[in-house]
Parts: sequence; C-alpha cells; structure tokens
Amino acid sequence: MIAVEHVVKRYGAFAAVDDVDLEVQPGEIHGFLGPNGAGKTTTLRMIAGLLQPTAGRVVVNGHDMALEPEAAKGSLGFVPDRPFIYEKLTAGEFLRFHGGLYGIDGADIAPRVHEMLDLFELRRWEHELVESFSHGMKQRLVMSAAFLHRPRAVVVDEPMVGLDPRGARLIKAVFRRMSEGGVAILMSTHTLEVAEEMSHRISIINKGRIVVQGTVEDVRRLTGAGDEHFTSIFLRLTGGSGLQEIDEIV
Amino acid sequence: MAAGAVMTRPFPFLLLPWVWSSRNRLRRREPGDLLRASLVGGIGIGVCAALFAGSFWVTRQLLAYAEFGDYLLRLGLSWLFLTFLAFLAFSGVVTAFSTFFLADDLRLLLTAPIASGRLFLARFTRTVGQASWMVVMFLTPVLLGVGAARCAPVAFYAAGVLIVAPFAMIPVAAGTGATLLLVNVLPARRARDLLALVGIGFAAALVLILRFIQPERLLRVESLPDIADFFATLQSPLTPLLPSFWAGELLFAELQGGHDLLHGAALWTTALACTVVLSAEDRRWHRAGYSRSQEAPKARVTPLGVIDRVAHALPVSTVRRQLLIKDAKVFLRDVSQWLQLLPLFALVLLYLYNFRTLDLERIPYMSGFLKNVYAFVNLAMAGFVLATVAVRFVFPAVSTEGAAFWVIRSSPISLGDFLWSKFWIGLIPVLLFTEGLTVAANELMGVDPFLKIVAAVAVVFMTGALVGLAVGLGACYPRFGADPTQAAGSYGGVTFMILAVLYVIATIVLLGWPSSLWLFSRIRRIQLSAMREFLMAASFTLAMALSVVTCLVAMRAGVRALERMAER
Repeated sequence: MIAVEHVVKRYGAFAAVDDVDLEVQPGEIHGFLGPNGAGKTTTLRMIAGLLQPTAGRVVVNGHDMALEPEAAKGSLGFVPDRPFIYEKLTAGEFLRFHGGLYGIDGADIAPRVHEMLDLFELRRWEHELVESFSHGMKQRLVMSAAFLHRPRAVVVDEPMVGLDPRGARLIKAVFRRMSEGGVAILMSTHTLEVAEEMSHRISIINKGRIVVQGTVEDVRRLTGAGDEHFTSIFLRLTGGSGLQEIDEIV
Repeated sequence: MAAGAVMTRPFPFLLLPWVWSSRNRLRRREPGDLLRASLVGGIGIGVCAALFAGSFWVTRQLLAYAEFGDYLLRLGLSWLFLTFLAFLAFSGVVTAFSTFFLADDLRLLLTAPIASGRLFLARFTRTVGQASWMVVMFLTPVLLGVGAARCAPVAFYAAGVLIVAPFAMIPVAAGTGATLLLVNVLPARRARDLLALVGIGFAAALVLILRFIQPERLLRVESLPDIADFFATLQSPLTPLLPSFWAGELLFAELQGGHDLLHGAALWTTALACTVVLSAEDRRWHRAGYSRSQEAPKARVTPLGVIDRVAHALPVSTVRRQLLIKDAKVFLRDVSQWLQLLPLFALVLLYLYNFRTLDLERIPYMSGFLKNVYAFVNLAMAGFVLATVAVRFVFPAVSTEGAAFWVIRSSPISLGDFLWSKFWIGLIPVLLFTEGLTVAANELMGVDPFLKIVAAVAVVFMTGALVGLAVGLGACYPRFGADPTQAAGSYGGVTFMILAVLYVIATIVLLGWPSSLWLFSRIRRIQLSAMREFLMAASFTLAMALSVVTCLVAMRAGVRALERMAER
C-alpha cells in the first residue's frame, strides 16, 4: 500500500507539490495524471525516496519513508521516467546487481533473473551490453528490475513512453497480473486512454494540487461531463485546450 | 524566416553556449560558496606563490654562475616549454576526440546550417582552451618568478602573453590532426584501439625521452667530464626546430633586454599555418570521421567471469559484493576509464628506473645519509603519485554512477554503506599499487630498515586518508552528467588535489622530523633522551591521527552531501 499524506515540496517560494493526499490500496492500479510541470514526477520521486518532502509524509507498506527508508524502499519497486542504467553492464548483470541491492543473492537470483527476462521478452539479450539496447528495451529492463524483488507496491513514471504496441500490450498485461496478485501500482501517464483503460482509480494533479480523485466514472460524475471524451474532461480540469492560440500562431 | 537560411554570425557565436554555461555556473549561488571560494582561492594563490618563489629562487641562484647560469636558464626555459609541448600535444589528442566527435552538442550543431569552416574554428578554439588552461595556470607564476628574479623589462611579460596562444595552438593542432586522421583510419567502433594507441604512444615517448637524457650520469663523480656531453644531449639537433625552443629563446632574449622577432614570427606563422592545414584536414576528414564515430551500437562483451568468482569468494555482504562486481565491470569495460592506466604505468616504470639508476654509492661522502633522505623524497613522491591516481580513478567513483544513480538511491541501502563500499573498492588496488611502489623503490635504494618500515606503514595511512578524501570530495562535488575522465579538472578535483598536496606535505613533515632525529642519533651514535623519544612518538601519532581524521571527515561530508541531494 502507498499512502501520501499532505505532502508538500517547495523550492524557495514555489510549491511544486502542494498538500497532496493520495492512497493506493493493495491490488489497485492508480492512474496519476496531470499536464507537464504539474508535480507528478516530483510526487513520484518523493514516494521513491529520491526527494525529501518539505512537509507531510510518505508511507510504503506501513513503513514511513523518512523514518525507515530502507524498509520502505525494500518493499517498493520504482520505474523512473527515463530508463538510465549502467551502459557497460549486460542485462543479466544489471538484474543480478539490482537483486543484490535488495538482498537477493546466491541460488535464488539466477532463476528469478531468467523469470523476469522471460516475462519482459529480454531473455535473448541477457548477455548483451545495455548500451546497445533501444529505449523500449531499456524501459522493459528497468521494469524487470522493479518487479525482480517481488515488491508489494510499485511506482511507475510514464511507463508507455518509447514502447512499441507489442511492448505496451506486454506492460499492460504485466501490470494487470501484478495488481491481481495484490501489488499496489501508482502509474503516472500522459496517455489518457491507458489511464482510462487500466486504472481502478485516478488522481489528476494541476499546479501541484490534486484537483480530482476517484474512479473514471466518479470523475465524469464530479465534473458533470457525462459521455464526454476523457481528453476534454482532462483539458477542462487542467486549463483549456490552447487550440485557438495555435490557430493564431500558425 | 527565409527558406535556406544559414548562420551568418562569426564563429565565436558558437562558443556562446560554453561561455554562458560557465557564467551560469559561476553565478549560481549556494550556501558556503564564499567560504569554498576563499579556501580554494587562498590555497590556489598559495600554490602559485610557491611556484613563483621556486622559480625566483632557482633563477637567483643561477645568477651566481654568470654565463653558465645564463646557459642553464636558457636550457631550462627550453625544457620547460618542451615538457608543456608534449603535454599539450597529448592533451590535444584526447580533448579533440571529445570536442570534435563525442560532444553531445555536435548533433545539434552538425544538423544546423553552419559553414564547416566556422564550426571548425569554434571547435578548435574550444579544444585549445580546454587542453591548455592548466599549462597557462602553471606557466604564469613560473615566468613571473623568472622575470622578477632577473628584473626583467616589461617586454618580457608582454612577450610571455603574446607567445601563449601560438605556443598552445601548435601542439594542440598537431594532436587534433592526429585524432582526425586516426578516427578515419581506424574503424570508429574500435575507439578503444585509437585511445590505446595514444596512451601507449605517450608512454613510449616518455620512456624514450628518459633514455635520451640519461640524467643519472650527473651523479657519477668520475663521469663529471661527461657533463658537457650531457648538456649536448639536451641540445639535440632537433631542438631548434621545435616551438618550445622558439618560445624559450624569445623569452630569454627579452630577459636579456633584447628582442627575438624571428622566433616570435616563427611561433605565430607556424600556429596560423597549423590552423589552416588543420582546417583543410577537417574539411576533408571530419564528416566521414564523425559518421564513423556514430557507428558503434553493438559492442563486444567481455564476460569478466573471474570478477564474479573472486567477489563471491570474499567474505562481504551481498550488497557490497554486487557493488564491487558492478564497479569492476563498468570500469574494465569502459576503455576511457582504464586506458589512463597506461601512461600511469609508464610513469611508474620511469619512477622505479630512476631509483635503480641513482647510483649513490658513487658519491661516497654522502651516500649513507642521502639515500635515507631519499626514502622521504620517495615517500613524498609516492604521496603525489597516490594523489594523482586517486583524483583520476577514485574521485569520480560517485560521478561514474551517472544518470543511473537513481538505482542506488531508490534501493534499500544506506548512502553511508554505498560510500564506504566505494572507499574499500578504491582502497585495495590503490594501496597495493602505492605500497608496491614504495617498497620496491626503497629496496632498490637500500634504505635503512627502520625507515623502510616507517615508509611502509605511512603508505597505509596515507592511502586511507587520500582515498577517503577522494571518495568524500567526489561525493560532495559529483558530476553525474559529465565525462568522469574530466573530473580531475573540475572544481572538486582541483580542491582535492590542493588538499591532498597539503596533507602529503604535513605528513612528510610529521614523519620526517622524528625519523631524521633517529637517523642522526644512529649516525653519530648518540643516545636519544626520553623527551626526544616521547616527541618522536607524538609526531608519529599525530601523523596517524591526521590521516584518520582526514579520511573520516571527508567521508562524513560525502555521506551528508549525498543525503542532501534528496532535499533538492
């Protein structure tokens, strides 16, 4: 379970994240939406322990990230928005290294690495250097690492960026299976169709504040949108379409 | 905007991003900036003052030898510039590889409508600047010292300013030209071969220069008549053809109150000619070379299974074992990382060679004392070699995590564990290297057994202190986005080198004083008083304490700096 309680992140006078409150229950896929610069990545990085909140607290599977960072991180999987990994390691070596960081070693690690490489269709690249991987392959490798230690909660920042349709379908299927297995998944995305299709609940953040939270049906009901296309609802909540300006400029 | 628009601004416009980035870095205010700037600036001024004082003193001493002193000064200037010439040529090769082929901004610039000549001039200017700033920093106080000692006229200083640019341009142009050709001759995907060639070439050149000079002959009393030959060797027929000779001659002429327009003109015309030739070479070879340098998506994988086996045999935690495996493999597979070991090995060979050939027994009236003094010279040298190795290979330990550092920061290990793991990974090879070097040199010298033990134990503490300082400061000043091989020249790298040099000097003083007391008491067969013995022990203890404190304070600062990253 992931719980974010009244979290604030300030940079001087600017509040990048302002009193954000959200909870992801075991087995839930929670879509985290918002325009560029709304505070999504900052929130996810605070949950992952990469950034310290200015105020509020983050709890992962009962462990407070500020008080028990190692226990909290140990039960969390994190997939960043850009899949930077050690270019001079092979895929297999990277996963073994990652497993080691989470205390998986010895006889347990090799079968688990093969399982994850099989799951994310990377097995035949096991002994290739990461530097020769495409963006999509690196993305799948980072996801393999995030799920390697069987986390009970996963935070994913923009999982579909750079994936081909086959890769995107694979990731969706993996997320669904993981959530059926009780894993709490918090997923930030710009692809509204993906959020609508996969999320049990969504939160929309704008200018650092959560503007709406609930199931897709709740959001439609709360905004009085009825059968309106979800993109229109999103644009209405986050500040207009900007299409008239485009016409003027072009 | 018209179709087919091209850049019409002169080439310095292309240097603006570099200038602006540097300006923005300077403008960025952070807590403690003033203190850091004062500390580093103060120590930097101290180092410059030491260089100034050293060159001033030597030049004053040479005044006492009249014409022979003038001759030595002239020769010294020529050799000073020759050393810089070699450094600049090598630096030019390495820097050009980055500025002409690997820099990230090339993708933007090469797809923009910029005339190739302008782009070349901008890249070459940047290469000269990057490759030569260190030489300029070193040269300035040395020349000022020489000028002050000889009460040089203003023209001497003006000449110094005027020769710097052409003197740097010539060897850097040669190095850049070599890089342009090599990238085209060798498949770019074998960049490792290219750099290996450069490294081995540099090492071989060093060995050849040493064999060429044979400085050990100076120390043989019976071969004093050969000293004339020795200086004749320094003045080989090739020397007058080199820009280093022109620069030395020009400055020497100005120092004597005269002028040497011929050598000044030779410097400038050669520099401009080199630029023109290099520009033609760039037009002919750069596009093909750049294209080749992009063609290396699939690299050969070296499994390095032995590292896994060794790591699994070590009694360490899973996390430390995996960090060790990862760091060792990343290091060994990154050619730009380990390749710099080659010149280092060449320097070590020279170092040991020097001690083997310093035949002190042939100077009977001082051999006994001198070779024991040399034990401390050796220890100081080992300290400086250690600092150099640490700044190059240990200081970037955190920076080499690069953009992948999120893997560590989001995993359940403490940043303290992570940093101490980096410390141990750096300590073992550096300790083996420095201890081996010191023991071998002292053995070759036949140093007193007591001093051998002092030196061997001192190296353990010095290695711990300098590795801790390098890891700690590397964590305080990480450069995740930059090339780790360039870390030595960064703000943090320079700070480390200054602090390391001060630490080595302090340690040598703390060890040298009690050791010299002991040595004198032995030579003169005098019993040491209890107070003296106590002070000796206190001095040794202080040296050890200084090492431990240096290591711990730096490591703690490093851990805190990493923890503070989460606040930003």
